[in-house]
Amino acid sequence: MGPGRAAHGGGRAAMIFVLGRLGQAFLVLLAAALVSFCLFRFVGDPVNNMTGQAASLAEREAMRAALGLADPVVLQFVRFVGKAVHGDFGMSYRFGQPVAGLVLERLPATLELSVVSMLIATGLGLPLGVWTALHRGSRLAQAVLAVSLVGIALPTFLIGIVLILVFSVRLGWLPSFGRGDTIQLGPWSTGLLTGSGLRSLVLPSVTLAVFQLALILRLTRAEMLEVMRTDFIRFARARGLHRGAIQYRHGLRNTLVPVVTIVGLQFGNVFAFSIIVETVFQWPGLGLLVIQAIQFGDIPVLAAYLVLVALCFAVINIAVDLFHLAIDPRIRISGGARGAA
Amino acid sequence: MSVSSVIRRVAGAWLDGDLLYRFRRSPVAVAAAALGALLVLAALGADLLAPYDAFDPASANAADARLPPGSQGLFGETYALGTDPQGRDMLSAMLYGLRTSLVVGVASVGLAAVMGVLLGLVAGYCGGLIDAIIMRTADVQLGFPAILIALLIDGVTRAVLPREVHERFAMPVLIVAIAASYWVQYARTVRGLVLVERRRDYVLAARVTGVSTPRTLFAHILPNVLGPILVIATINLALAILTESTLSFLGVGLPATQPSLGSLVRIGNEFVFSGDWWISTLPGLLLVLLSLSVNIFGDWLRDALNPKLAQ
Repeated sequence: MGPGRAAHGGGRAAMIFVLGRLGQAFLVLLAAALVSFCLFRFVGDPVNNMTGQAASLAEREAMRAALGLADPVVLQFVRFVGKAVHGDFGMSYRFGQPVAGLVLERLPATLELSVVSMLIATGLGLPLGVWTALHRGSRLAQAVLAVSLVGIALPTFLIGIVLILVFSVRLGWLPSFGRGDTIQLGPWSTGLLTGSGLRSLVLPSVTLAVFQLALILRLTRAEMLEVMRTDFIRFARARGLHRGAIQYRHGLRNTLVPVVTIVGLQFGNVFAFSIIVETVFQWPGLGLLVIQAIQFGDIPVLAAYLVLVALCFAVINIAVDLFHLAIDPRIRISGGARGAA
Repeated sequence: MSVSSVIRRVAGAWLDGDLLYRFRRSPVAVAAAALGALLVLAALGADLLAPYDAFDPASANAADARLPPGSQGLFGETYALGTDPQGRDMLSAMLYGLRTSLVVGVASVGLAAVMGVLLGLVAGYCGGLIDAIIMRTADVQLGFPAILIALLIDGVTRAVLPREVHERFAMPVLIVAIAASYWVQYARTVRGLVLVERRRDYVLAARVTGVSTPRTLFAHILPNVLGPILVIATINLALAILTESTLSFLGVGLPATQPSLGSLVRIGNEFVFSGDWWISTLPGLLLVLLSLSVNIFGDWLRDALNPKLAQ
């Protein structure tokens, strides 16, 4: 097989790979839309939830017809998806406002929290993971590893409570709830540009980062150890290459692929775990909105959140896959027989 | 028949393999297992060990509310670990809470393992359309964080069922919710292993001699894929316990009448600012000890069963 044919086959395999992944993302979104439609349509009675007790039977029927609830279910689902594509998820039962507005208003707080904690987790976890792998035998590396296991085992809400107890209640150094002052930049409200905003961010973002930090550290270490055992590293050693060059140019580079994958995929988990952190710190983000929606049975908010999370996951997954495609030539040839991590 | 043979084989792998030998040689694993065993015993013996009955309203005494650890009560009771806002003895509440947390954790891991192993066996052995349906469902579900799925299932049942009915079924609902969010890992692992095992000679021999498909699956293939399942189950036990406590902490898990460690922390969280640290921290500490012992043991088990790391 000549190089030309290999390249051609590779291009087609890459195409199939990307199409397959897009199809899967579409499937995920459709499943999420279906679940959230079922929530909206079948959990409780939407008409009851919107009219209250006083409405007469005729009024209810009129509303049922106006909402299209008398139409075939398939048609209703299509209509639901059509509206969702335009960002219309109806009115919140609890606030009586459009859900889309509520979600957009809360989104910046959650995104800022998630991104900052992921930066903390990656910024510390990656170097520490590499270091513990390269200094496997040392006492300090063993200690770091042991502490990281504690980081995995600690429930997030407890980390938050202990941090509040120590840094807010006892020492009085940092605020324990809310976002502090925010600045409005167009539709985006940011707490990153004010002193009180930054101070308010410290405890929640550290709380959210602990588990991810431990996870990234342990994963980086395991991958690095695995790579350093492979034949090509042995061969590089035999060639008499400089130790630093072997460790960083060969070892670390090959470690980065799975690590970046996990960091990408974990971002979705950070999004979910922000529900916990936002509850502990009364952080006015999406998570707090969702947990209140669950407690109050505010189904339209739940439905919108579900679709938003699915969309977020689909985008991250595709980004991670494209990253793989760009960096790992094996996928271009085999068409992506990658086992998901 | 097949169940007992499976148990015999697993026990066999434990006893005559070198796993036990390695276990005895690892002080960390022994310590973690000992701590875990101690906590399980404490939970099982809550009725005998607890100084006061945590579920008896008469044992709650409003005059003794929020006393720090080591306090004396109005009627001369001693509260070694203090009291909660209702004047309940913290130690007793924690012992019962530990039991609740363990029951939910073990039951949901068990249910998740049964669901995942069954689906994985069927998917791997049957292949075709069944395989595609099961594994695509798994793929879709894997895209979502487990805690979110558990939260949604629990939240939806909360919206569907009337309040009294939900309170009564809160624990089974929670167990199903957690199990439904953790089955995927078992299914994927088992399916992958079955795909390898089904081509082996012993499976072929079983089929040729006319052994039925269910018997081939459960009596022949299942025992050979149990090792990894054991590891996943151990690590997932810690995850399930944390998930339960997190949901209860968020107020969507168990009701106040059946407090788990997470619900106790939730109650204590309201008094953090008045400096009553013990109401939230002590149940939290117990939870961490439980989760840590299971995690460390699971970590050791994974390394011990991984032939790659054996050198």
